[in-house]
Amino acid sequence: MRAPLDTVVQIETPEHIVFEHRLAGPARRALAHVLDLVLCYGVLLLVGIAILFGVVGGAALSGELSSLAKASVGLVLLLVFIVQWVYFAAWEALTGRTPGKRALGLAVVTTTGRPIGVREATLRNLLRAADVLPVGYVVGLACQLCTQRFQRLGDLVAGTMVVVPERARGGSPIVLRPPATAAELASLPQTVRLDPEERAAIELFLRRRGQLGAARERELAELIAPVIADRVGAAGMDPVRLLALVFDLAARAGRDEGPVSSRGGS
Amino acid sequence: MRGAARISRPTEIAFTEARRSDWEELEALVIKATRRGLSRFDARDTARLSPLYRNVCADLARARSSRYSAVLVDYLDGLVGQAHTVLYGQEGRLLDGLLRRREDNDPLHLAFPRAVRRRWRAMLLSFALFFVPMFIGMGLTIADPHLAFRVAPESMLRPLAEAYTHGFDGGRDASEGVLMAGFYVNNNVGIALRCFALGVFGGLGSAIVLVQNGLTIGAILGYVIAQGAGDNILTFILGHGSFELGAIVIAGGAGMSMGWAIVAPGDKTRLASLQAVAKDLFVVVVGAALMLLVAAGIEAFWSPSAVPSGIKRAVGGGFFVLVVLYVLVAGRGERAR
Repeated sequence: MRAPLDTVVQIETPEHIVFEHRLAGPARRALAHVLDLVLCYGVLLLVGIAILFGVVGGAALSGELSSLAKASVGLVLLLVFIVQWVYFAAWEALTGRTPGKRALGLAVVTTTGRPIGVREATLRNLLRAADVLPVGYVVGLACQLCTQRFQRLGDLVAGTMVVVPERARGGSPIVLRPPATAAELASLPQTVRLDPEERAAIELFLRRRGQLGAARERELAELIAPVIADRVGAAGMDPVRLLALVFDLAARAGRDEGPVSSRGGS
Repeated sequence: MRGAARISRPTEIAFTEARRSDWEELEALVIKATRRGLSRFDARDTARLSPLYRNVCADLARARSSRYSAVLVDYLDGLVGQAHTVLYGQEGRLLDGLLRRREDNDPLHLAFPRAVRRRWRAMLLSFALFFVPMFIGMGLTIADPHLAFRVAPESMLRPLAEAYTHGFDGGRDASEGVLMAGFYVNNNVGIALRCFALGVFGGLGSAIVLVQNGLTIGAILGYVIAQGAGDNILTFILGHGSFELGAIVIAGGAGMSMGWAIVAPGDKTRLASLQAVAKDLFVVVVGAALMLLVAAGIEAFWSPSAVPSGIKRAVGGGFFVLVVLYVLVAGRGERAR
């Protein structure tokens, strides 16, 4: 298996299965944060406007605040506190993600890949006060760039990371259309050797076929088709069709991966 | 060898067809758990979740070793990841996590003073870093009241001193109480939490916040005393001071502990030491924040009320003794285990 990219963390479950989480980078996280701030301060602004029109009215201009207005200012201050210190921790403790993170498909998990609890959520969001220094999360950004998992100080202290959980969407298998004719099958050997990289490349190509122009499709296929044609002894066949056929044969054969690299030899 | 392998492995299509129903069942369970929580699972769902998850783990291993298509492997990878999150989740409910399901199993009201006492060196240091500058500030402004204008504008201090000179005979109406409660929560709890968080820079941040706040509060106090309203302001502060100043000292001590964990990690790596200490300090910070919420309530509604100052002082003294006893004694001796 190839070494994973460094934006992917591998997590081993107690069942000794390794699965992967994609890490969220600073840009995506910043965007999620901005969304959260817009949401919070948007609500605050609405409450403020409502108070201004509903409670204070014209009296505000004349100087003396009514008692109701004073009480509502106290309420606004309480809301500011909630936005600054409670909002993020509470959302993450309950669901593992704030609304902004949800919108951008992010989630907070522990570095062992488990969902976070109240303690992790609280600690990582308290430490925001340190990450935000000196202005605009400079400390947090510097820390993210220095750590392997894009962790800011809060993540380091709480032992958490922000990931992009893969959407579990089943892809349909690739179907050969039109089905192979007898003549085509006769011109190919019964088993086809493809190494894993060839197989992955051909699969990617076949899945993208619908989005490519005919000329580009042919151009791409011609990059690899001659090598395969040589190996299976099927010269002169249309390169795109050849790749589709070969892939279909390989997929039907279960595992026939061939030698680790079949390019130089055979 | 390759021949043998081919016989034992189904083709990708056959494999997918044979296993798809399990994958879809697990996917449905995962969606149900993330949308509505594990508590909504009935007995059958609960019984199915773990065998399904283990089977899909095995499927993922097989799909990888058989080099099935990337889409299939990615799909199973994602499914295993999501099911893992559901199955190995911890402390799902907010209140459970806060009150009961912590590892040491101590209830919060006992865990808090115990954790504070375990860190008594940091707490003492924090105490000194706050109160020494406070008394210095107070001494300086009593000697020369004009020094106070360096930490706070004259336009704010003069009315303040005036207000305390008049005392609290009029009391405060409830609406002003709400206003001030909002202000105290926002300001004081914020200061305490920031004081803790900045401890991550080797404890320096906490020290700076403590000294700065100590000096400022001391200077203002000294100024008001110099204007002849000392009795009134001390009565005012005594009511909530034990909660408020105590909590700030405790939060600062927690910050210093966190910083010390990086400076002197002992036999752990710095990161591991930091994480272990922070985990332990969680309960301290929550406790300090709760103390400050209590303080905000007292400061807004009781301290400025029109109750005779004799009673206020008695109650304030009572609070002080209670807080000190609680922090020093509660949970001592009767260890849970």
